[in-house]
Amino acid sequence: MPDLDPPLVPARMLNEFVYCPRLAILEWVDGEFAPNADTVEGAVRHASVDRPGYRVRLRQRTPSDDPGADQPARAPIEQIRSVELSDAGLGLIAKIDLVEIDRDRVQPVDTKKGKRPHVERGAYEPERVQVCAQGLLLRSHGYPCDSGILYFAGSNERVEVPFDDELVALTRSKLGELREAAGAGVLPPPLVDSPKCVRCSLAPICLPDETRFLRDAGSPPRQLLPAADHTFPLYVQQPGATVRKDGDLLVVFDKDEKLGEMRIREVSQLVLMGRVSATEAVYRELLRLGKPIVHLSSGGWLAGVTDGLPHANVRLRQEQYRTADDAAKCLRIARWIVVSKLTNQRVLLRRNGGDEIPESTIEGIRHAAQAAQRAETIDTLRGHEGNGGRLYFGHFAALLRQSPFRERFDLEGRNRRPPRDPVNGLLSFAYSMLSREWVTTCRTVGLDPFLGFYHAPRYGRPSLALDLMEAFRPICADSTVVRAINNGEIGPTDFVERMGSVNLTDGGRRKFLRSFEQRLAQEVVHPVFGYRLSYRRVFEVEARLLSRYLLGEIPTYEPMTTR
Amino acid sequence: MRKLLIVTYDISNPKRLRKVFKAMKGFGQHLQLSVFRCDLTDMERFEMIGLLQGLIHHDEDQILLIDLGASDGRTHRVDSIGRVVPRERREPRIF
Repeated sequence: MPDLDPPLVPARMLNEFVYCPRLAILEWVDGEFAPNADTVEGAVRHASVDRPGYRVRLRQRTPSDDPGADQPARAPIEQIRSVELSDAGLGLIAKIDLVEIDRDRVQPVDTKKGKRPHVERGAYEPERVQVCAQGLLLRSHGYPCDSGILYFAGSNERVEVPFDDELVALTRSKLGELREAAGAGVLPPPLVDSPKCVRCSLAPICLPDETRFLRDAGSPPRQLLPAADHTFPLYVQQPGATVRKDGDLLVVFDKDEKLGEMRIREVSQLVLMGRVSATEAVYRELLRLGKPIVHLSSGGWLAGVTDGLPHANVRLRQEQYRTADDAAKCLRIARWIVVSKLTNQRVLLRRNGGDEIPESTIEGIRHAAQAAQRAETIDTLRGHEGNGGRLYFGHFAALLRQSPFRERFDLEGRNRRPPRDPVNGLLSFAYSMLSREWVTTCRTVGLDPFLGFYHAPRYGRPSLALDLMEAFRPICADSTVVRAINNGEIGPTDFVERMGSVNLTDGGRRKFLRSFEQRLAQEVVHPVFGYRLSYRRVFEVEARLLSRYLLGEIPTYEPMTTR
Repeated sequence: MRKLLIVTYDISNPKRLRKVFKAMKGFGQHLQLSVFRCDLTDMERFEMIGLLQGLIHHDEDQILLIDLGASDGRTHRVDSIGRVVPRERREPRIF
């Protein structure tokens, strides 16, 4: 459908486009935004200039203001704050911090939080282009305007930017380029090894070095994303509990007894399990902050996610759907997924099973992985996955050091719906928690968790989340189960058995969630990128790399494998 | 990177005092009357500064931010005489 009314370009976006074309397109077209310290500090410093207002102030005149004129030493200058202007002819829109009117001269003033840079022309190009765009808007509204001011709050200095022919031409050509890039439907390539990326708030989304590394090889990426998280899930699973909001706190009550609290700022998602509830104030605040509320049964079955608006990155979802329709592409992604899963299963057995695991089993799983790599159909791929899985679970009991779990583990491998022994019960619960984690990761990144490439979409099944978690079943779920049992974090009294099915008690569930969260917070060295980050961060990076693959930026998507 | 901050305030009006107290509970641990310990990212620090700036009277009130440096992976010693200061960490909560 043709776009009859092309959107106006905000002058601020023009600044970003000159700084980095990819950044501008990510923010403006794909709706990606991530605040960081710089952007928040900027907003704080901007608070006073964003309030609309008008005042007249007196300024000392310098002779250069009016050469030769016989003027009083002080003269009034009118100042208007927060002026919003747009012009369809230019295709521009801007909210100008301050407009100064000195008799017949009009100047836009843009506030920058930092210090004045000591560079040629007094300021960097992105800022000069931005203030020039504001000047062009003032001109198009009939004000004589041939220069602007950049006010650097950090050093309290004003830099005058003349709108000479060169700057006006540059501004107009950048405006055209931005329009073209926005309409082209592809993301501009990342900057190469640029110092600009280090302070860019979008670096963890853009993944400039990782994208370049996976596309053209070369030097390994710098670590531009934080290794650990600053926010964490709040789980509420005690039957009858209620979550209320008190200021900036989420407080959990059981009837009138306060169980505990957590600062909303430190919450990444609220997980409500079983017969618990939360007040409307809690929902409203979490939705406002873009933090999801996940609803699960007490056994961990995903009932739904309460989330705000869907992610603005429509192009990504379109590519996801297109790819899911393409059998050949699906097979390729499915192969990568199965191979990584089998590789990780083999590593877990070999590392933790010691002498008890026959070499033939390890080799068998390796062969299954090699065969999976060459599978010609999804069905044969499933066969190889199954063969490897049977070998793996056939010897899984060897990893468990504690009776009575070991003896009761079904040598036939996994059983479920319902699980008939404690280990299978724990495994099922761990997989539920892992798939929940992947559902929220998919949503964060802008992927639809319900349409996968390997798992068929079925009512209520988050197929993409299941695809993406495959490689992490052994290293994040199975290993957590093994460790929780071997360390004695979970004991026989943490289960109840009813009519042949085994379930965790409330207390057992709490203990296992703690072990699971510890695992996700654990930092590992990324085998490809070579830097440390927590498993939870790994998940996000994986989902973003899948997006980059779907959008055609990198040639493969291979899930993480451990050595 | 996160930093540990001690935030202390002196607010001359009870209404503003309550507002500052309530706002601070969203950022850190209430240690003593008018004293909070906050473990904040740079971004959260600026959020806090922005919020407090809007709450206080700039001629009559005062807030001090005492920077104890990086908090990641480091332990800061806070000794107490009398009541023990409970240790609080940023971590998942399970109820």
